[in-house]
Amino acid sequence: MSERKKKTSAKPRLGVYGFTGCAGDQLLILHTEDQILNLFEAADIRSFVMASSNPVEENLDVAFVEGSISTEEEEEHIKEIRQRAQIVVALGNCAVSGGPQAMFARDGSFAKRLKDVYGDVEFITDPVEATPIDQVITVDYYLPGCPISQQQTMALIARLIHGAEPEDFLHPVCHECKLNENKCLLLEKKFCLGAVTAGGCGSACPNLGLPCVGCWGPNRDGNFEEQFRLLESFGISFEDVMQRVRNYGGHKILDYIGEIKSTNG
Amino acid sequence: MKESERIDIKPLARVEGNGGIKVEISDNRITNVEVQILEGPRLFETLVIGKTPEENLSLVPRICAICNLSHKYASLRALEKALDLEIPEATDAFRHLMHHGEIIESHSLHIYFLALPDFFGYDNAVEMAKEHGDLVTGALQMKAFGNKIMKLIGGRMIHGENPILGGFGRLPQREVLLSIQSEARELLGFAMNTVDTLEGLEIQEHMERDTQFLCCKPPHDGYDYYGDELITSDGKEHPAKDYKNVIQERVVSHSFAKRSTYNGRPFSVGALARVLLLGNRLKGEARKAYEKLYNERWHRNPLYNNHAQAIEQVFSLEGVIETVNQLLDMESPEIAEPRRSSGIGTGAVEAPRGTLIHHYEIKNGRTAYADYVTPTAMFLDDIEAFIRESGENLLSSRTTDNIELQFEMIARAYDPCISCSAHLVTVEYK
Repeated sequence: MSERKKKTSAKPRLGVYGFTGCAGDQLLILHTEDQILNLFEAADIRSFVMASSNPVEENLDVAFVEGSISTEEEEEHIKEIRQRAQIVVALGNCAVSGGPQAMFARDGSFAKRLKDVYGDVEFITDPVEATPIDQVITVDYYLPGCPISQQQTMALIARLIHGAEPEDFLHPVCHECKLNENKCLLLEKKFCLGAVTAGGCGSACPNLGLPCVGCWGPNRDGNFEEQFRLLESFGISFEDVMQRVRNYGGHKILDYIGEIKSTNG
Repeated sequence: MKESERIDIKPLARVEGNGGIKVEISDNRITNVEVQILEGPRLFETLVIGKTPEENLSLVPRICAICNLSHKYASLRALEKALDLEIPEATDAFRHLMHHGEIIESHSLHIYFLALPDFFGYDNAVEMAKEHGDLVTGALQMKAFGNKIMKLIGGRMIHGENPILGGFGRLPQREVLLSIQSEARELLGFAMNTVDTLEGLEIQEHMERDTQFLCCKPPHDGYDYYGDELITSDGKEHPAKDYKNVIQERVVSHSFAKRSTYNGRPFSVGALARVLLLGNRLKGEARKAYEKLYNERWHRNPLYNNHAQAIEQVFSLEGVIETVNQLLDMESPEIAEPRRSSGIGTGAVEAPRGTLIHHYEIKNGRTAYADYVTPTAMFLDDIEAFIRESGENLLSSRTTDNIELQFEMIARAYDPCISCSAHLVTVEYK
């Protein structure tokens, strides 16, 4: 009978970082009360400044990063984290897509809006147009959400801790809505973006009879052209549909809606 | 300590958001104190221009996750004034219940996870659990309870869509309300134990100085977290819609947050301000907690904000019990409709950290102008003033061991929400 060798390996070194955002994704991890103590036990959390003082900034196995890059200092800091982390996970809409602060991404208005708001005041670090972190560094995994889902996040962390590959979640909110046996809000001509929005939230808002606002960003398989035409057929203007999908679409949405034009020419 | 030195606490840990403290010392005197806001600007007041009220309500919680419902609540109050919308009593009661949930969530996060580790000598609450297991277990239950209410009434713990203009998407059934009430009763014991725990802490005095306080005046005789009047510690009352005349704001270069003064001097908002200004309205167990903890030093020492939060934790648990009783006697409310599509409105609520004001100008159903004044932006000047006082006293008495921790504890006591403060800065050229 072979002896079972006890597997010993050092606990994976994790870091959790927040750039510009509402801290909701970090907070969501702290609010997972039934897992938080397990997490601190299973991993060696070297830096999680929101929860713990005296962070140790050394090499990491996994760095979780929330927030958009909105200052020059943040640009430097994310590059520094990339250099010493084996794996970088973008946590939440702001890190994945830019967040609501990126709703005017690439429309050319940032410099003007900044000047309108700040004038010529000099700050300790220069603000930059909000971008997702993958505009500055390469990202290994993405956890969309506004905020992220406890279930998806703990599953991903658990996989990474055990050296396994995280699972992707490809379905739109529509899929979860059906599983929850909700009445489809599009049948009531409501302004719902569920069909083109990344799922994982458990169709939280349609469960309440309220339309999906698209806060998890675009679903990869979404038929955006069709969604626009459908919503316009409800009497919603092209401009209003465009505005709504851009509220939380950040940079990522631009890959999906760039070609769509108003039917009014 | 060297004659000339610079203390850089960066990042400031165990607060929400990205900030730091810089203190410059020369010839054994404090020459400069800056609470630095390092997060970038998100310009929320520009993001909502042209949006419908529904979109505003969806966007504003994203200013901050910990007090996401306070932002929604303040916007609801402002928009409903602008659009001449009168909500039924039951909707108002559900909003109070929702708010009690957020107070419990936010205060328990702050007291047990962000503040107490310093008093017990730990880097974080998880390490604290080894010696204070019951405390951390109770803390997790308390926070989970606050989150449960936020999820139930708000739709999610963070950024739920359930509170809508004029009402709610879906409301809990009677059985669920009764179980919430029951759980609140069970947690009261732990909340009162927390009061005892805080009573036993040694509170340093090196930062003590006089300051001013501000909060919302409830539109009734009791203690509460909202109002259309602001009261200040100089005994004055001001309509909330005149906030621009009451709170003077200015830009500073070391932060993307504005700074505020009242009558030209820094002031504080938050649990400590509320208990100092409204504490004599407390009843029940919260009253007992107040009488146990309150002392004269509260007027001059921000560390007592932690104690004030512990009192409010008790108040809000009792508030949950009472509000459920009210709701059980009321019919499920209809959603109220706006009576116009253009108007101006100001909504003031007491977020866990202090007075929060949202102001809108709506034209033909679209946002023409928005202004958000957050509590953290209001008290940053006061944090700097207390740190300066502390530094001066510690330097002159040559007790500068661990001076950084003393400064951090002052900043942490305020429970600052840096994301809230960094949402926007506006410069007006006259």
